[in-house]
Amino acid sequence: MEIAKISDTNGRENGTLIKVKDLVKVYPTAANGVEALKGVNLEVHEGEFLAIFGKSGAGKSTLINMITGIDSPDSGEVQIGGVSIHSMGDDELTRWRGRNLGVVYQFFQLLPTLTLAENITLVMDFCDTYPLAKRSDRALQLLDQVGIREHAYKVPSKISGGQQQRVAIARALANDPDVIVADEPIGNLDSQTADDIYDLFSDLVSLGKTLVIVTHDREIAERASRILEISDGRIISGRSNDAPSNERSTGEAAPSPNLVPPRIRAAI
Amino acid sequence: MHIPTRWIKILKDIWSNRSRSLLVIFSIAIGVASVGMITNAGLMVQRDLYGSFAEGNPASLEIYISPFQQDLTSAVEAMREVEDVQARRVERASVLNGEGDWDDLTLIAFPDLTELEVNQLNLVEGRMSLGVREIALEKQSAEGLGLAVGDTFTVKMDDDRTYDLDVVGIVHDLYGMPYALLGEVTGYLNLDSLKWMGKPSYYNKLDVVVAENKFDQEHVLGVGNSIRDRVIEPSGHKVGSMGVPGLGSDPGKHWAEDQIDGFLLILQIMGVMAVLLSGGLVVNTVSATLVQQIKQIGIMRSIGAVRGQLIAMYFFNVLAYSVLGLAVALPLGLLGSWWLAEFAAGFVNFDLTTVNISWQVLTLQITLGLLMPLGVAIYPILSGTRMSVYDAIYQYGIGSEGSGWLDRVLMNVRNLAPPIVLSLRNTFRNKARLVFTLLTLTLAGAMFIAVFSTRASLTVQIENVARYVAFDAALGLPYGSRKQTVEREALRIPEISAAEGWAQSIGVIVREDGSESGELEIVGLPYDAATIDPLMIEGRWLEASDTSKIVVNDDLLDEESGIGIGSEIRLKIGNRERTYQIVGVTSKHLSGSRIYMEYGSFGQLTNRPNQVDTIRVRGNLETFGSNVEQDVIAFQLENRFENANLSKSSSITRHAIFGDFTDVFDLILVVLMVMAGLLALVGGLGLTGTLGINVLERTREIGVLRAVGASNVSVRQVIVIEGVVVGLISWVLGALLSGPSGRALAGAVINAVMQADLSYTYSFTGLLLWLVVVGFIAVFSSLAPARSAVRLTVREVLDYE
Ligand SMILES: Nc1ncnc2c1ncn2[C@@H]1O[C@H](COP(=O)(O)OP(=O)(O)OP(=O)(O)O)[C@@H](O)[C@H]1O
Ligand SMILES: [Mg+2]
Repeated sequence: MEIAKISDTNGRENGTLIKVKDLVKVYPTAANGVEALKGVNLEVHEGEFLAIFGKSGAGKSTLINMITGIDSPDSGEVQIGGVSIHSMGDDELTRWRGRNLGVVYQFFQLLPTLTLAENITLVMDFCDTYPLAKRSDRALQLLDQVGIREHAYKVPSKISGGQQQRVAIARALANDPDVIVADEPIGNLDSQTADDIYDLFSDLVSLGKTLVIVTHDREIAERASRILEISDGRIISGRSNDAPSNERSTGEAAPSPNLVPPRIRAAI
Repeated sequence: MHIPTRWIKILKDIWSNRSRSLLVIFSIAIGVASVGMITNAGLMVQRDLYGSFAEGNPASLEIYISPFQQDLTSAVEAMREVEDVQARRVERASVLNGEGDWDDLTLIAFPDLTELEVNQLNLVEGRMSLGVREIALEKQSAEGLGLAVGDTFTVKMDDDRTYDLDVVGIVHDLYGMPYALLGEVTGYLNLDSLKWMGKPSYYNKLDVVVAENKFDQEHVLGVGNSIRDRVIEPSGHKVGSMGVPGLGSDPGKHWAEDQIDGFLLILQIMGVMAVLLSGGLVVNTVSATLVQQIKQIGIMRSIGAVRGQLIAMYFFNVLAYSVLGLAVALPLGLLGSWWLAEFAAGFVNFDLTTVNISWQVLTLQITLGLLMPLGVAIYPILSGTRMSVYDAIYQYGIGSEGSGWLDRVLMNVRNLAPPIVLSLRNTFRNKARLVFTLLTLTLAGAMFIAVFSTRASLTVQIENVARYVAFDAALGLPYGSRKQTVEREALRIPEISAAEGWAQSIGVIVREDGSESGELEIVGLPYDAATIDPLMIEGRWLEASDTSKIVVNDDLLDEESGIGIGSEIRLKIGNRERTYQIVGVTSKHLSGSRIYMEYGSFGQLTNRPNQVDTIRVRGNLETFGSNVEQDVIAFQLENRFENANLSKSSSITRHAIFGDFTDVFDLILVVLMVMAGLLALVGGLGLTGTLGINVLERTREIGVLRAVGASNVSVRQVIVIEGVVVGLISWVLGALLSGPSGRALAGAVINAVMQADLSYTYSFTGLLLWLVVVGFIAVFSSLAPARSAVRLTVREVLDYE
């Protein structure tokens, strides 16, 4: 199955990379069911750093899982790079996600028996992205990028939580995806470590990646280029911290902040 | 070298779960090794025993004849239907053993030991060209007596004179029943030596290889009849008996081929069972691994692994178990087959030429060792990888408490101590796992008890046979004697309180169409004989008035179709014929076809009124004598009859007959016990593995237990009780299954080794012993998991996620 990279397709309209339309998710429960998302609309632009902020139980994780395709909505649609991801078959979606999305979880979720380097090469292995012989070098390079190359051959339980989160980020970068999605990536870390991780994210944005993170911490959200607030399954407000004058309301299409395609920017 | 990371993950998982992996690997290994052991031993036996047996030109027919010379041999050889023929003289004597006692000896004289046409002997040591006063010994006999080339061999003939012969050769005879089995010494010499020992020079047995259809029993016996009718009888000789050599095997086949093949088949079935049993642990381990790794599976899918890749990974996991299991199984199977083949070689007297493993066995082991684990893992792997990524990562729908009736019952158990309640709930939490563990232990138990039932049944079978040997001692009267004389003589011995003379002859049944049956033994005895206690399976025993009524044994009914209770049959001995009616059928008793008739009417049929051929005596009519008492009676009987010039034969005691007999069965039971032990071992590994998995899955719970102050002892107790509960349930189930399984195994074994029908006896000893064994297995299996449960630190408990 040949999976195209987003950056290789022309599926973007006006620099909009992710488009969420009227998303509704109801979790079946013993009672009536919990309506976790009540019609969410949003757009994410190429190269943007978007933070979705909300209180516990607001529906953040649910929304993120819809965007990564890990869970499917009851109605509505998620388009990424012009592809409606929930219309794909299971394996196709998995492959697509593997190549185009880097996912970072709150609890790192590294495989316990593999070394840090192997945790990263595993991603390339599943998606068959880099030649077998080159994967280790790339993994080391990525670990270098997140600053823990010296621990490459340790297993996750032998390093700290912050270090594990760095590995999780390096793993998310393994297949060089255009989009990184993170659910509470900093929630579990002390403030110094959180700052370091945040800096890492900023570096990624400057390298041309598109970043979407969710957090319940307003302070963290403030540092993103754009913030959306979610409450009780709805986006209630949005604000941009970036210099360009885009005082637009949520859901509006906006021009790309940068006209150079991310691929090319990354190569510069 | 670059290995794709997903395979590395699996290998590292296996390594990080070393103890669990080892259990699975050993469990597979034992199953596969036992199949290899049995199949390979079977092939080695086939090659070395049946192969060398066939090379020595085995006789299809043996004929005992009144004394004859070589010219008769030539006449028989000249017949078109005969390919080869060999004359021999068989003489009974005794030999001085190392302890100064006399052992039974069969002396066999050939015209020339180096030029045997049929049943050729192989030289082991020394030489086969014999001069006067020289003897060659069968190798097992030489070993048994501790004699070698150059030693002196002291023989006592039936005239009580002793002769010293020089042992000049050791030979291997594949065609006779060996010393290990019969406890009889066999020696080979030439007629001149016999002459020197005061014996006339003649032959009394012909071994014949027929020209065509060597393996066709009907044809072979037909040829035998023509030899008798066209050559032997016209030349004035008499046929004593005639038949196919062996223990009921087909002509040209090794004398124990049916028994060996049957026994190997039984072992083979048990081996395959061991393989299947190890499948229980594979299923449980693979399912547990998948449940434990659900989150990892979710992560792997979220980073791009499609289901096919995950399925392949977990199959690779099983494949690794198989390959490692095979790596242990192949050498182990080879060693086992060596042991088993050596065992068989010692038992039936053949040489193991080389110990090797054939490609068929390798293929079989590899196929079984790969297919079984992969096969049983299909379902757990497919269902374990089916979850959606979301469910896998967030672990919804997993680990919920059971809600079946059993769980409700167990939730309501209040009166027991808390650790027991917890153990009980744990035991039944994962039902599929419990089922597989129980299946393994139950089958192992059922087989274990079955082996004991087989033993018990054999014992009863032997006791049944013993009813036909209800004497303390018996003595053959080679030339026959008057009944009254013989009985009076025996009763003069103060220790003897009952003596009866029996007459015996060989005869045939003349069928309606004029054809004749195979030879059978006809016995004339007092209707109220005290030295037989027949087990009637139909009709009645003989009565005083039965002049033309007979009792037959069940063997005869098997041999001759179309006859039964009430049938009239025409018997022929020599050239005299009479018609009798069958009034009773006795159980089989290892004698071959036999007919019992009242002594008087037997005399009329044979025209030897008042003559008897054996004297059977008892010291006490209530009980049998001890071994020593029997020996004393036998000794006195021999002496008195020799002094009275009635017989120079040696007597036989009841304990001597059954001693050898039970030895043989004990050896067979050893092999069966080894197999039962292997099955129990596989069952034990299965239980250990399962309990280990249970402990691991309950890490958090155990942590809570410890956090609320449970002592090490009570944590351990929870695990051990769980093991014991599983053991006990399996024992009950095994007990239920052991009835039919024991019947099947005992039937198969008795049929294989005794060629007799089964009288089945269930072994309650086996049942109780298995209770003890399964108790040990349960406790031992739970010790390691219990220890690891106690060792879990708080950190590990919290890490477990
Ligand atoms: N699988 C589920 N079944 C039922 N209800 C669920 C499920 N997952 C989430 N919910 C409910 O849906 C709502 C949104 O949950 P969600 O996990 O998206 O919130 P969140 O914003 O991520 O909260 P947190 O900051 O605590 O992670 C909550 O009310 C939650 O209880
Ligand atoms: Mg959440």
